[in-house]
This record gives sequence, structure tokens and C-alpha cells, in this order.
Amino acid sequence: MSMNLGAAKRGKPKIRPPKKPDPQTSIKETWIKLANAIREIQNHNASKLSFEEHYRYAYNMVLFKNGDQLYAGVKGLISEHLEKLAEEKIVPTFPRSSGTSGTGKRRSGAEAVESAMEGDRFLKAVKTVWEDHTGSMRKLKDVLKYMDKVYTPAAGVPQIYDVGLTLFLQHIVRSSRHSIHTHLIATLLSQIQLERDGEIITRSTVRDCIDILLRLTLSEREGGKSVYSTDFEPEFLRNSADYYRAEALEIIERGDASRYLQNVERRLSEETDRTAHYLSSLTHSQLHSLLVEHLLTPHLSTILSMPGSGLVSMIEHDRVSDLRRLYTLFLHVPKDAGRIALRLALRADAEDRGRTINENSALSESGSAGPAEEQTMDVDPDDVKGKGKAKSQVVSGGNALLAALKWVQDSVDLKDRFDRLLDEAFGGDKSLQMSINEAFQSFINANPRSPEYLSLYIDEHLKKGTKTKSEDEIEAALDKTTTLFRFLQDKDKFERYYKIHLARRLLYGRSVSDDAEKGMVAKLKVEMGFQFTQKLEGMFTDMRLSTDSAHLFQQFTQRHQIPFSLSVNVLTASYWPPTIVSASTCTFGPLLSSGQDTFEKYYAGRHSGRRLVWQGGLGTADVRVRFKARSHDLNVSTQALVVLLLFENVPTDESLAYTEIQSSTNLPDADLRRTLQSLACGKFRVLTKTPKGREVDSTDVFSFNEGFTSNLARIKIMQVANKVESNKEREETQEQVAEERKHQIEACIVRIMKNRKIMSHNDLVSEVAHQLSSRFNPPLNLVKKRIEGLIDREYLERTGDMATYKYLA
Amino acid sequence: MANDDDYVLLESNDGFKFVVSRKVACGSGMLKSMLDDEAAFSESRSKVCHLDYRGIILLKVIEYLSYKVQYADFNSEDIIEDFADRIDPYIALELLTAADFLDT
Repeated sequence: MSMNLGAAKRGKPKIRPPKKPDPQTSIKETWIKLANAIREIQNHNASKLSFEEHYRYAYNMVLFKNGDQLYAGVKGLISEHLEKLAEEKIVPTFPRSSGTSGTGKRRSGAEAVESAMEGDRFLKAVKTVWEDHTGSMRKLKDVLKYMDKVYTPAAGVPQIYDVGLTLFLQHIVRSSRHSIHTHLIATLLSQIQLERDGEIITRSTVRDCIDILLRLTLSEREGGKSVYSTDFEPEFLRNSADYYRAEALEIIERGDASRYLQNVERRLSEETDRTAHYLSSLTHSQLHSLLVEHLLTPHLSTILSMPGSGLVSMIEHDRVSDLRRLYTLFLHVPKDAGRIALRLALRADAEDRGRTINENSALSESGSAGPAEEQTMDVDPDDVKGKGKAKSQVVSGGNALLAALKWVQDSVDLKDRFDRLLDEAFGGDKSLQMSINEAFQSFINANPRSPEYLSLYIDEHLKKGTKTKSEDEIEAALDKTTTLFRFLQDKDKFERYYKIHLARRLLYGRSVSDDAEKGMVAKLKVEMGFQFTQKLEGMFTDMRLSTDSAHLFQQFTQRHQIPFSLSVNVLTASYWPPTIVSASTCTFGPLLSSGQDTFEKYYAGRHSGRRLVWQGGLGTADVRVRFKARSHDLNVSTQALVVLLLFENVPTDESLAYTEIQSSTNLPDADLRRTLQSLACGKFRVLTKTPKGREVDSTDVFSFNEGFTSNLARIKIMQVANKVESNKEREETQEQVAEERKHQIEACIVRIMKNRKIMSHNDLVSEVAHQLSSRFNPPLNLVKKRIEGLIDREYLERTGDMATYKYLA
Repeated sequence: MANDDDYVLLESNDGFKFVVSRKVACGSGMLKSMLDDEAAFSESRSKVCHLDYRGIILLKVIEYLSYKVQYADFNSEDIIEDFADRIDPYIALELLTAADFLDT
């Protein structure tokens, strides 16, 4: 500053002061000129005006402290103009129908079209006014730029363009003189509703009006939100809620879950589309949750349980796409309620289907269990809920086996089906899978015979001769069985049955292949661990050793002549199921005894200190029998051979009574009956029974059937099949299993206590349950009893407070 | 239509006329608004702007606007030349009001 002054004093050319326009006098005039110009601008006559001139007017007014007058004047002019526009352009286009619309009923065609057009006209008018207004506001903003730059920040008032928006809100959208606001919102809603009802509307017009609402914002004082979110959105959401609540009820009334879901899906995508095209994306999430809330959340169970089209029927008819839709839509429901509902329903359905399988199986079984019962023909065989003995066909002996196989097959199929659905429709959802598994576990364990059935099913697949199956088929079947096996709780029962079945397969040489057997054992090993399969593997080892030693024995017999060829399987008693190895021995005839002695001599020479017990019930024998017509080679069980040999010395016309046979063979009652039945009542009747009949009675008398004829040279006389346990046998098995469990529980308790020394009752019980859970679920009272047993035998003792135990070494 | 290759005529109050490229002219906010095709004031049609300043002031304004365009893409630290050196103190005050008016 001092520099400048200095320069001026030195007499250099003088600095011209900025010229001062004549102030006070011209202000009024200036404003009149400017106001006129503003009106011209508003009437689209800007091209007649000089920008520079009016810019300068505004500039001068601001420069000479008349900003407030300018600001207020401009505001007044804008308001005036907007009122005029409202009057002239908008009011005449008020639609007749709006204002009353809302959730109204569906309007019929022509009316709807007309209403759509009216609404469109109105909205267009609003839009035109808006465009007009914003256009002139932009020009005003340019002309009044100096005011915005200097006056407004200093005065703390909004920029003139924003004033224009506020004024538009005041005079048009929320006009106090005209009911534009009501009409605008109502028309927008009615346009949207018309589109929901399937009419065609001009989306761009709606979009433009929504944009206006979005552009207009309330002042900070009133929350600073857009008019869209304060005035329109709540109305819109309320309206949508009403609309969809009504629609949900209406469509659900029609009782078609699949259609309903399709509709929901359509609506969801429509509304997404709608928000994207002409509503604000801000509304999307709200609208979406609103749809879900009204279309899905209250109707979850209704949809699932809809008769004839709900979940049950979708699964029944494998409607994968419907199920997929169901799943995807249900996932939208908040708090995971959809998934939970679906889980429950799925579980219920799977359990239901499982129960049906169980019932069907129990049914066909009860048919076979009581062949003496009168068969009723009038029961519909399809009616699965019919009381027992509903099966009207004649029950054959294999029926129980068939029932068992069918049960497993059905379960496997069911599992396949759910697995497929889970994969294809439910995206492999883990929690759904869990529910399905729970359902399987529940129904599989609900059938007390499932361990036996599973083992039988495996038996059927590993056994030779039934049906020719490829290795892959067997493999697949076994894999599936293994998955069912996982659901099983009483795995120890399964083990028992499996051992029996395996023993039979091995001893009778019925295994289809060693590899398949070992494969299965390997699978079980993977599932259950080494202990579980130890004995099974022992059985395989026994068989292998026997085969190996058979060769040596052959050499031995060359020196010690016996009248027949003999091959012996030596079984380790502890590996083999007790029901098989404990079958009591019988008196072999003198002929057979010689062979026995030879083998015992041979065996004692190789192994010392081992006791051999001969099991007549497990072997087979080939014997050539001369009948009247010709000789036949008979393949019979060892027991049958023992019986047949009795008849060797009996003249053909004489007979032996049941009691005589029994006393000379010492066979147990059940075995003898079965043997006799297979010889006298089976397909090939080498013996004749008097009186005739299917059952063997202790008063019956038998004779050799010399007149036996057959086309076959070689005849295999099967032991009358006794695969599925009879009730009595089952009871025995149960007992044995219970006995075994006792030991296991005790062993387990001791194992734990040895480790921990002192443990509270609850901890001990839960630890026992945990350790044994892979084999079976030990019932609490049993565990308690075992603990008491151990205390009695002084393995444990109660400590002072009675609630803990101490291990006594 | 308007593009940066256009030229506009700026007239001073003492009769000087300057042909200036639109790009340079639009460095001034006021001139930019004035020439805005959409707003369509008379100047945007005629492309002639009368400005109430002496030619010497307008010349300096245009010089500054060109300077601004020339260095538009530079970082401020890369510009060695200081425009203040080019301003004659005798016109400084007048130039200042013009700059304020023209929103440069």
C-alpha cells in the first residue's frame, strides 16, 4: 500500500480509480429494468436481452449494498411466476380419478386406460412446469452470479437456484392454494398400481416426476431429506403393503403353492425393475423387505403345507424348479425364518416318508409272521395305514426277506431322492442337509429291525447267485447302504447281524467276491474304526488259513486213509458270531467220525493246546445217492448228511420216527426240524414224510423216497432258508446284545475311571455316553446300574459326597 | 454449435475489438455464462460482447485468460512465470474491478 502511495507521489501517471456509476439514483431504475428482464427470461425471451447489461445491473445492485433488495425481489418474481404456472398449466390437468385411488379395486380395461392417460397428462404438466422453471432458474443463476458470489454467502441465505427449488416446493408441489400435492402423490401411486395390474403406463413421465421429488429437498430445519423420502416413499410403501397383503390372501386362497411362488418371484423381479427404472434405488431394499413381509413371511407354513401343491407334492413329483424357487424365495425371509420353516417341513416330510417305509415294511412282515392267520381280501393293499395283515397275497417264506430288502431299498431311494433335491434345488444347503439327516436318523432308528435289514441288504448284494450284478452296481449299492449305516444308532446290533451274515457267506462259500467283501469291511472300518472290524477281519483270516492248510491236510490224508474227502474250516471262536459257533454239535455217524479223528490227529500234530469243536450245522457235503431210477449227486448240509446216513442201513420199506432220528443224531430240535423239512418237504423230496404236510412234527415218521426222480444229475438241497430272524430269535439277539452292552459299558467305565481316578457322576455318565455313541446310545439307567455293579465288585467306590466316584486300582 | 475452435468478439468501451477464441473467453465465468448457448441471451447469438472497460484493461484481461489456458494442465509448482510481473501497477486497481466483474 505504501509502495503505491509512494509511486503516486512521485508524479508518475496517476492510477485511475475505478469509475463509480452514479449510485443511489439509479438503484430503483436498475431494479425495474432487471425485474422486467427476469420476467422476459421466465417467458423464454432471453435472446432479446443483453446478458452483459443485466449482469451489470445485478452487479451494481450488489456492489452498492442493495443485495437484500435484489434477493427479495427476485424471490418475489419467482413465486409470482410459479403461482401463475400452477394456475395455468397444472390445475386444469388434475385427473378426475386420482385423490380417491389407493388400494382401490382393480379397474376394468377402458377405465384403467383412461385413468392411465389422465394421470399421464397431469404428470406431464407437472414435468413441463418443472422443466420450465428449472430452465429459467438456470438463466437467472447466470445473470445473478455476482449476487451468489458476494451477497448470499455474506447474508447467509441459500443460493438463488436453491431458492428456486424451495419455491417450487412451496408453490407447486406443496402448494397451499391448489391441491397439487394430493393429486401428485395419488396419481403417481395410481400409475404404479395400474402397472401392477398389468396396464401399460408411460414410465418416463413417472420417472421424471419422481426425479423432481428426489431433487427437492427440505431445509436442514425440516430434516434435510428429499421430498421423495418424506412425502412419497411412506405413502408408496403403505400403498404397496396394502396391495400385496390383499394379493397374497387372494392368491393363497386359490391353493396352488407353485403358482403362488411363481407370482411372488414375478412380483419381486417386477418391483426390483420398477425401483430401478423409475423409483429411487433407495426404496429398493425397503420395498423388497416389504414384499417379503407381506407375500412370504406370514404364509410360510401355509405355502409349505398346501395340500396338493405344497412341499409334499413338490417332492412327490420331483418338481425341482418349484423347489428351487421355494428355497430361493424363502431365503429372503428375514431372521432365517424361511429356512427354518423349510427345514422343519423338510424334516417332517422326510420323516413321514420314512414312516411310510417303516409301516409298509412292518406290514409285509406281519403278513409273513402270521401265515396261520386268516388272510383278509377286502383290505386295499395301497392303504398303508391299514392294520397289520393287510397284504392279501399269499405269503411266501421269503416275504420277510423281501420286506427287509424293500425297506432298505426304499430308504436308499428316499435318500437318493432327497440328496438329489438338496443338490439341485436347495444348493446343497448345509442346514437343510442336517434336517434331512435328522429325519433319516429318526425314522431309521424308529424301526427296531433296521440293523438287521441293513445287513441283510448287504448280504443280498454280496451273495452269489441271486441276481447277476456288475461290480459297479454292487459298489454303488454298498456305498448307499453305508450312508444309511451312518444314521444308525445301534451299530453294535448291526455288527452282530453283519457277522452272522458274513459268516454264512464265508462258510457256505456264497460270497460273490473276496474283493467286494473286503471293500465293504474297509468301508465299515472307515466309518467305525479299527475295533469295529477287527473280528470281521479275523473271520477272513480264519478262512484264508483254512484254505492254506487244506492242501497240507490233503497230503496228510494220503497217508491216513479216510473213506471220503474232507475239508475243514478252522474258526477262531472269538471272531465268529456266537450264534453260529455255539450251535451245539451232533453225533456224527461212524463213517464221518473216522474223518473227524483223522483231522483231529492232523491238527493236534501242528498246533498244541487247541480244542476243536465240530460244527455240524455249518458245512456242506456232496453225496451220491442211488435211487430207483438213477443216481443223483446231492449237495446237502452236513446235518442233512448225518440224517441221510441214518437211512443208509434202513430198508426202503421201513421208516424212522422223528424221535429215533433225534436220539441217534443228538441234533437240537430246531436244527433237526429244519433239516428234515429241507429233505422231506422242500423242492426235492429225498425223504417221505407221513403224514404229509409242510411242517415237521415230532410225531412224524420218515422213510427214504426211493422213487425220487429228477432231470438234474446234481441237486442242491438248500437248508430251508432262515434268513430273517423269527421273533424268538430276535428276542435272543436282543438279549445277547443287551448282555454285550453291559460289558461294553463296564469296560468303558473302567477305562475312563482308570484314567481320571476321581470323577463326578454326571461327568462320568456323559463321558460314557460320548465314548459309546459311535456304537449305540447307552440308556442312562443301564449306565447307572453298571456303575453300581462295579461298586459292588469294588472297582469303584463312592467318595464322601455320594456324587463322585473313585477308582480303586 | 459452440466448440472451442469458435471465436468471439470482445468490444471495449473505447472501441477496441478483440477476436478471442471461445476457449480463452470462457476462462471468465461471466463470459462463459454470457456465451452459454442454452441460456440463449442475445450475446450468445451475436457472439459479440460489449464490455464497459478500456481496451488496455481488456487486453490485460485477455492476456491473463490466455495465460490461464496455457498453463491449465500444469502443476502450480511447474509454472515459473508469475503473471503478477506482467501487470502494470497503474492499471492494477481497474484491472482488479474488471476481474471481479468478469469472474475470472
